[in-house]
Amino acid sequence: MALIQIRNLVKKFGTHTVLDGVNFDLQKGEMKVVMGPSGCGKSTLLRCINRLVEPTSGTILVRDQDIMGPEVDVRALRQSIGFVFQQFALYRHLTVLGNVVLGLRKLRGMSRAEAEAQALFQLNHLEMADHRDKYPSQISGGQKQRVAIARALAMDPAVVVFDEPTSALDPVMVREVAELFNRLNQEGVTLLCVTHDLALASQIAKRVIFLDQGVIRADDTLENLAKHHPNAQVRAFFGDKEAQS
Amino acid sequence: MNFFEIVAQLAQGLVSTVVVTLVCSGTGMGVGLTVAGLRRMGYAHLVPLLDGFTYIFRGVPVLVLLFLVYFGLPSVGIKVGPLLAMALSLGLIAGAYLAEVFRGALDSVEASEILAAEAMGMSRLQILTSIEFPQMLRLAVPGMINEFTSILKYSPFAYTVGIAEITKQAMTLTATTLRGIEIYIAVGVLYFLIYRILLAGVHFLEKRYQVPGLGTT
Repeated sequence: MALIQIRNLVKKFGTHTVLDGVNFDLQKGEMKVVMGPSGCGKSTLLRCINRLVEPTSGTILVRDQDIMGPEVDVRALRQSIGFVFQQFALYRHLTVLGNVVLGLRKLRGMSRAEAEAQALFQLNHLEMADHRDKYPSQISGGQKQRVAIARALAMDPAVVVFDEPTSALDPVMVREVAELFNRLNQEGVTLLCVTHDLALASQIAKRVIFLDQGVIRADDTLENLAKHHPNAQVRAFFGDKEAQS
Repeated sequence: MNFFEIVAQLAQGLVSTVVVTLVCSGTGMGVGLTVAGLRRMGYAHLVPLLDGFTYIFRGVPVLVLLFLVYFGLPSVGIKVGPLLAMALSLGLIAGAYLAEVFRGALDSVEASEILAAEAMGMSRLQILTSIEFPQMLRLAVPGMINEFTSILKYSPFAYTVGIAEITKQAMTLTATTLRGIEIYIAVGVLYFLIYRILLAGVHFLEKRYQVPGLGTT
């Protein structure tokens, strides 16, 4: 049974349909990449999964539980899904350590000592323990991302979702991010990543889902999407030079 | 009686001035945080009430409200002590102003951080107390200093309800010595010293809790 099952997911903002019948499964231990042009509904899709955005219709099952049910504890659901935002959204008034500790103290009810030990374990795992006392304004974009990942992993989530993880980073950082994602996935972390960064996608996934205008147009390897997809726009998106010209 | 003896006499009212200022500042902080917090929590039905509170209390003179509380309420059977009357007048008015200062500072808290906390599963109250207020208090320091200074400068109204603060001592001393110029210069010096100490205290706290990349410095 899939960790996350999405069926006929529709999200409308007024008369504008952002997601129009999306279906896909995410298996435990899998790393799935969703790609698509800006405004295609990628971020909305992620936000529906933890109900930051309320879907209009369809079903989302997380560990076999329908998350749209009236009895669902939305806060508990959110704690089971680690979310890493595009701009990382670290809390500016807290140190690196404080950012990771906060959720453990407030949501897991850990003592300060327990929470700090757990946070330091994750920061060490992501090579950020040396920066524990720095504030977000004192670290680089790549380091902020690692802290955001440590903050998500510290809560021991079932899946970590990434919203455009490389858009706020220098292009040379992409390889580093890809290596980190691959390492986390090999360690058993389930990841769902939305991006329009082909360089990142090519380094972390064999197959990608292509979302366009709220509809999944394809689920295939990058090579097939670039060279053999019947739609020229899809081929162009995935870097086929002939389709682009 | 030389100038320093005058200052020493006036200093007997110093404690009352400081107590009035602290009580009214504490009331103002409590009220300001509550109003700004309730507004931020998004209770739509409370918004007209909160707007009404700030609208009215920012428009009423301190002395009028003080007399209403201290001299008016006993006529309906509610007797209020002098210090409580100051808290319910100057304190509440300061609270209305501070609520607006806090509202402005809360708008500077980045929406992405609030969204990240929601995505983590934190409740609205947890987000308010753990993310928004700690940032807001750092951003609101200049406005808070202004308001605390106003409270100090309005504290002489306490003499009208019988609190023997510095101004009351000065009036008594002037009546017995007829040396109004020296006495009121000494009063000014004392208020200035209290102001400088208050400012130093706030700046100490500001520096103590200063965070790189956040705040006014």
